[in-house]
Amino acid sequence: MSEQRPGGSDGKSKRRAEEPSLEWLADLKSDADDPELAPVDPSVSQAFGAIVDEGDERDRRRAGGPAAAPHAAPKPPAPQGPGPEAARDFSRALAEEGATGATRADASSDVPSAWTPPPSDTGPQPAVGTDSGPQRTVGSGTGPQPAVGSGTGPQPAVGSGTGPQPAVGSGTGPQPAVGTGTGPQPAVGSGTGPQPTVGSGTGPQPAVGFDTGPQPAVGSGTGPQPAVRDEDPLGSGYSRHVVSGDDPLGSGTGPQPAVGSGTGPQPVVRDDDPLGSGYGVSGDDPLASGTGPQRVVGGDERTGTGPQAVVGSDEETRVSGTGPQPVVGSQSDEFWNGAGRDGEGSGTGPQFVVDADTHGTGPQPAVGSLTDEDTRRDLGTGPQPVLGGPTVETATGPQPAVSGTGPQRVVSDTGPQATVPGTSTGPQPAVTGTGPQPAVSGTGPQPAVSGTGPQPAVSGGESSGRGRKRRGRRGNADTGSQPAVPAAPVAPPVLAADLGAPDVDPGTDTVDIALRTPDRPQPFAELGMKEDEYRRVREILGRRPTSAELAIYSVMWSEHCSYKSSKVHLRQFGEKAPKTDALLVGMGENAGVVDIGQGWAVTFKVESHNHPSYVEPYQGAATGVGGIVRDIMSMGARPIAVMDSLRFGPADAPDTQRVLPGVVAGVGGYGNSLGLPNIGGETVFDACYAQNPLVNALCVGVLKHDEIKRATAPGPGNRVILFGATTGPDGIGGASVLASATFDDESQAKRPAVQVGDPFLEKILIECCLELFQEDLVVGIQDLGAAGVSCATTELAAAGTGGMDVRLDTVPLRDETLLPEEILMSESQERMMAVVEPAKVDRFLEICARWEIPATVIGEVTDTGRLVMTWHGETIVDIPPGTAADEGPVYERPIAPPADLGTLQSDTPGRLTRPSTGDELRRTVLWLAGSPNLASKTWITSQYDRYVLGNTVQAMPENAGVVRIDPDSGLGVALSLDGNGRYTRLDPYSGAQLALSEAYRNVAATGARPLAVTNCLNFGSPEDPGVMWQFAQATEGLADACQYLGVPVTGGNVSFYNQTGTTPINPTPVIGVLGVHDDVRNRVNMSFTSDGATIALLGETREEFGGSEWAHVVYGHLGGLPPKVDLAAERALASVLIQAGREGLLTAAHDLSDGGLSQALVESCLRGGLGAKVALPGDPFVALFSESVARAVVTIRPGGESRVAALCEQAGVPVTQLGVAGGDSLQVASWTPEGDQELFSVPLAELRETHERMLPSYAD
Amino acid sequence: MDAARVGVITFPGSLDDRDAARAVRLAGAEPVALWHADNDLQGVDAVVLPGGFSYGDYLRAGAIARFAPLMGELVAAADAGLPVLGICNGFQVLCESHLLPGALLPNAGLHFVCRDQRLRIDDAETPWTSDYSEGQEIVVPIKNRDGRFVADAATLNELEESGRIVARYLDLNPNGSVNDIAGIRNEAGNVVGLMPHPEHAVESLTGPSTDGLGFFTSIVKRLVAA
Repeated sequence: MSEQRPGGSDGKSKRRAEEPSLEWLADLKSDADDPELAPVDPSVSQAFGAIVDEGDERDRRRAGGPAAAPHAAPKPPAPQGPGPEAARDFSRALAEEGATGATRADASSDVPSAWTPPPSDTGPQPAVGTDSGPQRTVGSGTGPQPAVGSGTGPQPAVGSGTGPQPAVGSGTGPQPAVGTGTGPQPAVGSGTGPQPTVGSGTGPQPAVGFDTGPQPAVGSGTGPQPAVRDEDPLGSGYSRHVVSGDDPLGSGTGPQPAVGSGTGPQPVVRDDDPLGSGYGVSGDDPLASGTGPQRVVGGDERTGTGPQAVVGSDEETRVSGTGPQPVVGSQSDEFWNGAGRDGEGSGTGPQFVVDADTHGTGPQPAVGSLTDEDTRRDLGTGPQPVLGGPTVETATGPQPAVSGTGPQRVVSDTGPQATVPGTSTGPQPAVTGTGPQPAVSGTGPQPAVSGTGPQPAVSGGESSGRGRKRRGRRGNADTGSQPAVPAAPVAPPVLAADLGAPDVDPGTDTVDIALRTPDRPQPFAELGMKEDEYRRVREILGRRPTSAELAIYSVMWSEHCSYKSSKVHLRQFGEKAPKTDALLVGMGENAGVVDIGQGWAVTFKVESHNHPSYVEPYQGAATGVGGIVRDIMSMGARPIAVMDSLRFGPADAPDTQRVLPGVVAGVGGYGNSLGLPNIGGETVFDACYAQNPLVNALCVGVLKHDEIKRATAPGPGNRVILFGATTGPDGIGGASVLASATFDDESQAKRPAVQVGDPFLEKILIECCLELFQEDLVVGIQDLGAAGVSCATTELAAAGTGGMDVRLDTVPLRDETLLPEEILMSESQERMMAVVEPAKVDRFLEICARWEIPATVIGEVTDTGRLVMTWHGETIVDIPPGTAADEGPVYERPIAPPADLGTLQSDTPGRLTRPSTGDELRRTVLWLAGSPNLASKTWITSQYDRYVLGNTVQAMPENAGVVRIDPDSGLGVALSLDGNGRYTRLDPYSGAQLALSEAYRNVAATGARPLAVTNCLNFGSPEDPGVMWQFAQATEGLADACQYLGVPVTGGNVSFYNQTGTTPINPTPVIGVLGVHDDVRNRVNMSFTSDGATIALLGETREEFGGSEWAHVVYGHLGGLPPKVDLAAERALASVLIQAGREGLLTAAHDLSDGGLSQALVESCLRGGLGAKVALPGDPFVALFSESVARAVVTIRPGGESRVAALCEQAGVPVTQLGVAGGDSLQVASWTPEGDQELFSVPLAELRETHERMLPSYAD
Repeated sequence: MDAARVGVITFPGSLDDRDAARAVRLAGAEPVALWHADNDLQGVDAVVLPGGFSYGDYLRAGAIARFAPLMGELVAAADAGLPVLGICNGFQVLCESHLLPGALLPNAGLHFVCRDQRLRIDDAETPWTSDYSEGQEIVVPIKNRDGRFVADAATLNELEESGRIVARYLDLNPNGSVNDIAGIRNEAGNVVGLMPHPEHAVESLTGPSTDGLGFFTSIVKRLVAA
């Protein structure tokens, strides 16, 4: 046990070399508030005394430690790609995927995707490919394409600016053009920032990118045109909004800059907005920027416009949207773009358009093209056309470009006509219509929400158009072109132009139109789809998808819903699943169902809502709880409890003081209102989560074996009923946009993308569902979460008879201006979809009416194998549902250990000076007890109702939550949720196993038999090989350990893109273990309450400080290796705890984990209000603070000592008698040959004060 | 005679209705589920308005529930002497219905508060507290967002003077209630409003104590005696 202590001179001099000066000392990080708790001096031997005496600890306290690192605020990040936070149960994604083996791609290429890469032509786009080292792609393509990039890697493009995109980002070269557009927009769109940019802006080109390289077109027009954009300005209208906009109009331009830019630089400009697009940004600049140039260009009329204006708008939201961004937006928005809007999108449009036309051309070509194109128009180029057209023709020269842009739609319609557009507006026309914002507006409240960043844009564009116009349009063509808008991308233009069928409602893209206009460019990139994915869709359908179909595929194949990056790794959970009879329903359903005996079953799952909770803490956390609760209901279960695992930046960071109270209030506000007790969880602080808080919520539900419901839709003729909340624009694109984005400075602008929850509605929805289940009125049921109606219909249909007809126009809306694509993507909360036999429909609706819950029959099950949706009689979706639900792309992304891993692992905590005297040890005990991660979390847990339902046997701060299920027999379950990002950072394989070990141990400590596992895997960007390596290691470690311990994974969730810029969070798998109590009356709690009871330590203590709380709290140190995993010892310890609990031998049991024995004793003493007197074997520092696994401290019922010893011997668990419980202080001595030698004593009152005041001091 | 029948009203958003029913059962009476939209008290001998967030409490705690059809029946019955206990949200509904004076505002700390609360029973004469002795200290959970009782000076004085404070908080006032008031009764004594949750302290396994059972055994004894 002895350790090499770096105490000697050698060690000292060595340290010196590494750590420059004593000032370091002053910087020691201390999380304690107690001035007495001085930081341990790492570099000076007798530090303790000395430091303490200095008396200036207080000052030091706050300083970041050397480690300061930890406190370092995350820097602004580069934009990243969209990353979906997976909301769908990954098990679902895994199910059936086997079938598609073919789709599997290999990793070889950059981004291995299921399908073959597109033809070279694409050249440029490759960039798109993004993922990969974009650049490569880049390389190719032309500069311009960069734009392309966009699509994808979302960020990539953006973010980085990098590689290829760089172009983008940069503004660079040609792309610049793109960039441009982008730049800014990007902002817009995405919200994401980054990419968006790309995408968007891109303008045009981007668009281009794809198809063509042409974009050039983009560029083309552009360049100068940039001015163009201005135009859009549609903004014009907005101008006012512009609000800020100073120039508003004049300004308008700003944006264009981009244009102008074409160039690189400007793009930048916009950046700001990014998402912002509309939003947040202050507009000012936005506009501001704009300015200049365009004018020029636009000079003309446009001027006014200045798209930017839009920007400015921000506030208005609506407005905001607008401007250019709209366009942008479009892109960004993903859908939106995609969506019909594109039309609008046009703005974007252009780009797309571009593509189309562009064809090839290099960037400018585009331009050139334009012209041609115009001609071509057909192609759909729409936008550019504009460009070309306008530009050219117009005289406007540049602007045209503009117009192109935004307007493009216009373009489309009109063609250059810009005129058309122009018409009214002039450039804006494009704009015009749109006003993207409209979208916004639409909704009431949500709007905001919905607004969502990006989308807004999107919508905006379209919406607007649509919105209001939409109607108009529909009705009349007048809208002229725009009308098209909605469909924008789509047909409209074409139709008009090509078919000359003004009477056709250009607003809705139908299968019919898709067949007639096979070459219409579609904004798949803006929807986050890669070109090969898009091609795959075309192959599946044998034609181009309609905009509604594109919306479905894009969201169902997003990372969020398809688990395309994680699937190959998650598969292990099934392949290595231990044999068990306990699993009634395994992976593949909303949540697994576990048999707990006596005819009862439970279902449980944990899910993340990380990104939304950073943007809007209260609603993000609240809807996280709401979503997981509906998942549980979808299995036919009554939810009986929730838990939450929370991670924030440093406790004293200003932003933590914004995020933490909001998240806690949200978890509590929603869960309390549902009448579900919160029985436990964890709260961890670490600088790596500063801009990436983790909010993981777990729900457990109970049901009888014969009550299990499946998410299937069997039986042709059965009705499909949508019930619960009406559908609004909330969170449109949330799954793909919000969850995908990596945060940067602009994320505040995304607030609107977060859905708003209505816990009251969910509460009555729960009661309503339970009545429906009770009367057996439901054949299949599914909750609507990420991807809303798209996900529910495709999954229900895919898992059932295979077909479903849906009349999408019958979906009850809270915003009647929603377009079909928006309805498909809306993530309005509190909705469920059920499949009901015709004869039971009346009773079903009657029960819903009793609970005053809207319920509408929207379709029926068929045996056609097709999911068919109609919109006012026209078929807008006709797809094989399985291709969307289960046959999404699968990627084997590149993996490689993080470059700094070796350095990190070799920087062991051995160099850290340790406390050794009694006084030093005493201070360290207090210091840890009062540090953020180990301090009392009562401030948080007292905001959660733990009593409701009357079955809570144990709740935090106990080892695990324990809930009674059957009051007669005492049958119940225990649940624990644990994770350790520091351990996992040091060794992902072990880290995941350590999280599982801890949860397993916690459950066993209550006396429960561990039975099953759920998990929430929180990681950075899967496009970062280092992160992907961590993910691969962690999943493998978890699967192996589950297999060894005999506890199957029943489901879970993956959350990627938890990073700021290029800095990912510590990989943080959060593991939930469920155990069974045959009789909860035998449960053991952690309180020391029996005076005189023997305190014993079970398990073996090794010297293990890598990743420990001690190293973290005292030195801010993270290095070395985490504690050694010992699953055999873990299982042996559990067997002793379970048997001893069953025999009533223990009066208390507490697992040892973070903070080691010291923290366990502190908590058990404080919880029970009884002190302890213990003597420690070996090095007291190691005994107190080591974090070796498979250990627990227990108090033994008098007379049971020999029996406990026998159980331990039988199981091979070392047992050490430490002392006895009693008194009102914690007294610690050390074993010596001469007998126990007292080290220190701490009154419980002092411990309590230190332990409990930390959180309130920061949070209140 | 048959067991006493105690009704428990469920409003949309009621959460502790099952717990109240359990407590009634444990006390030896028959719980009767009453639905807010009905106009029938089903002849029950007493009524409990449980905790929760009726109608989401989106307007003001208890403000909408007060207009539920069944409340019209209840007010008339209470005026005629029917024993009524309002817990938490039920207390709020009783105040909104003017069966009890005063109002309940958001907690002083503006947070939802859930904790094991020590109380002192100051009025052991009501049909809901007769199993306690005056001055008895008990521990039951409190959990609410809008639990701060307030009343104008005259009302407060009248409540204090007439001994209508049923229970007060000890140790720590969790929500800023005036005079540490945790519960009050009407003038006749048959209507009692209580912010803490006695129904969550009826089993040692799931509650901090079994001190809350007294509210339910009190009414059962009263009804049986009657």
